[in-house]
Amino acid sequence: MPAVKAKPGRPKKSAAPKRAASRASLADALGQAAWAEADAALAEALALCDEATSGAKDEDQAALLDLLSQSLARAARKRGFTRIGALGAKEAFDKKRHDFTNPPKRMPKTVRIVARGVARAGETLVKTRVGPVRRTGKK
Amino acid sequence: MSAWTLCVDFGTAYSKAAAAPRNAWSRFDPASVRPLMIGGVQETGNAFLLESAVFVDDDRILFGRAAMARAEEAGRKRMALRSFKTLLSVSDLDRALNTSAPASVDPHRIFQMRDLIVLYLAYLLSAVDAAAAYDPMVREATSIERRYAAPAWRSGDSAGMHQSIVQLFGEAETLRHAVGDQILEPEGVPLSVVSDLLPKAMAAPAPYEMGLIFEATAAAAYTSIGLPDSGAHLIVIDMGAGTTDIAALARSGARLSELPEARVTLKQAGDFIDSVIANIVLTNSRWAKTQAQQTELWRAVQRHMRDIKEAVFEEGRATLRHDGRMISVQMRDIERDRDFKEFMKGLANAYQFGLDVLRDDVMARGRTEIQAIAVGGGAAAPFIRELIKKTKARGNTRVTPRPATPDWAHAREFRGNLAPVFPQLAISIGGALAPEQMLAAQGGVNPRANVQTSRPPARD
Repeated sequence: MPAVKAKPGRPKKSAAPKRAASRASLADALGQAAWAEADAALAEALALCDEATSGAKDEDQAALLDLLSQSLARAARKRGFTRIGALGAKEAFDKKRHDFTNPPKRMPKTVRIVARGVARAGETLVKTRVGPVRRTGKK
Repeated sequence: MSAWTLCVDFGTAYSKAAAAPRNAWSRFDPASVRPLMIGGVQETGNAFLLESAVFVDDDRILFGRAAMARAEEAGRKRMALRSFKTLLSVSDLDRALNTSAPASVDPHRIFQMRDLIVLYLAYLLSAVDAAAAYDPMVREATSIERRYAAPAWRSGDSAGMHQSIVQLFGEAETLRHAVGDQILEPEGVPLSVVSDLLPKAMAAPAPYEMGLIFEATAAAAYTSIGLPDSGAHLIVIDMGAGTTDIAALARSGARLSELPEARVTLKQAGDFIDSVIANIVLTNSRWAKTQAQQTELWRAVQRHMRDIKEAVFEEGRATLRHDGRMISVQMRDIERDRDFKEFMKGLANAYQFGLDVLRDDVMARGRTEIQAIAVGGGAAAPFIRELIKKTKARGNTRVTPRPATPDWAHAREFRGNLAPVFPQLAISIGGALAPEQMLAAQGGVNPRANVQTSRPPARD
């Protein structure tokens, strides 16, 4: 490698690591690393939320909601959230796992998933939201 | 627990490192697995990831995130050197190392690729040392055995390639001690200092002991460690950025051997999927008529590619906003693509071929099961998961898919924080956990497991 002329160097600062001041546990440090990536996605989601609710045209609003949902899903992935159930699936009702979006007068045996539940590290954060199974009309 | 093993994985975009007690294989405790905060030397972002990047500025050399930020500022004609892994895994390594860096990377035209790799390795080794000293368990180690993970080299000369790589590490070790802590500063190192010290480091490299573990073997290690029924036979699909590799591994006790006849490397991988997606976006964006509009759109897609792929793989669709327009990509668009279909056909054939070879070994050893695992960026792709789920081995051999993130990564002590980042750290963790018998080479000269071809299978 050919030599290069010396130029005056900048003053030195203290050596890295920069974030070594904290004595957090490994689990906390891993959590912070996940948050570092989730933060950007959440910030984006907040901005999109404003756009979608501040008078966007209908067709724009649908696309903005897509982007918003994408940003939230990204934040959730970075934090290790998992979804429970599949949208539209029918399941036997279990009050430990299901919440009704609109509680019926009589508890049905089978319900339809209208919003997936959310879990993290084996713990359910939000139960699966369900509604009644709609009967297909007879012709 | 004072003897430790530390493994470095210099990935295409990020480098990672992890440590584990040397006896982890025989006495596994998930709590003793230590991913290292090598990215902690950077002021922002994920502390476990160190950007694999070097930027040659007007009068300084910048590393990591600072290099990427400066490259972005510097405009289209300048770029940081990245993808060291791709460079280090080419079949003619010496030739690649002796190539001059392109003007977009080195406008002074003074560096060869070898120089820039040694510079990056010096930065990486300093970051690893700082992170090891910060970790409360690793810093108590009385000895640390070092390893690096690499894709299997297609030349087949693992020992020879390993010697060249260890030589680079030796030069980097000398250089980093000469430069000192300055190398970890965001301001980087003055070009004049590099110009003075690099030739001296190359002339007198430090003796450096290091083991080599192949990525597929590292994946097998983290997948099967601690399992009471850990499989004797594994098939690994590793879809990285540049290649998709199928590797078949047979285990006998702590020894893990690759069946080289089963190895298939496809040239299509993550970068190929990226170009399929980018082409779909361009096709769907009829408003982008001029060359300039298309180039701008292509760049925007590439910038957001990681997010787009994650959304498409997880949710089946992704939306991108560019220049005030919303553009949508769906998984079914990708599945309809002619090139993608060809790729999937080739991948399915390669995977079936690997299973067939492995099955013969399974039969010869009186076993009945093959465990299958996907690693690398493609592990989350639905088409890879589907391939593993649906493809059967011939005869009575059972194929059991293993999760990309092993169950032990969900252990209570991690409080749910290891699993989300595990896929990124996996190879360095597996490399640290693997017993010595799984290494492909050691110290630069001794070929070990994974390279033999003629040993007859023994019943176990």
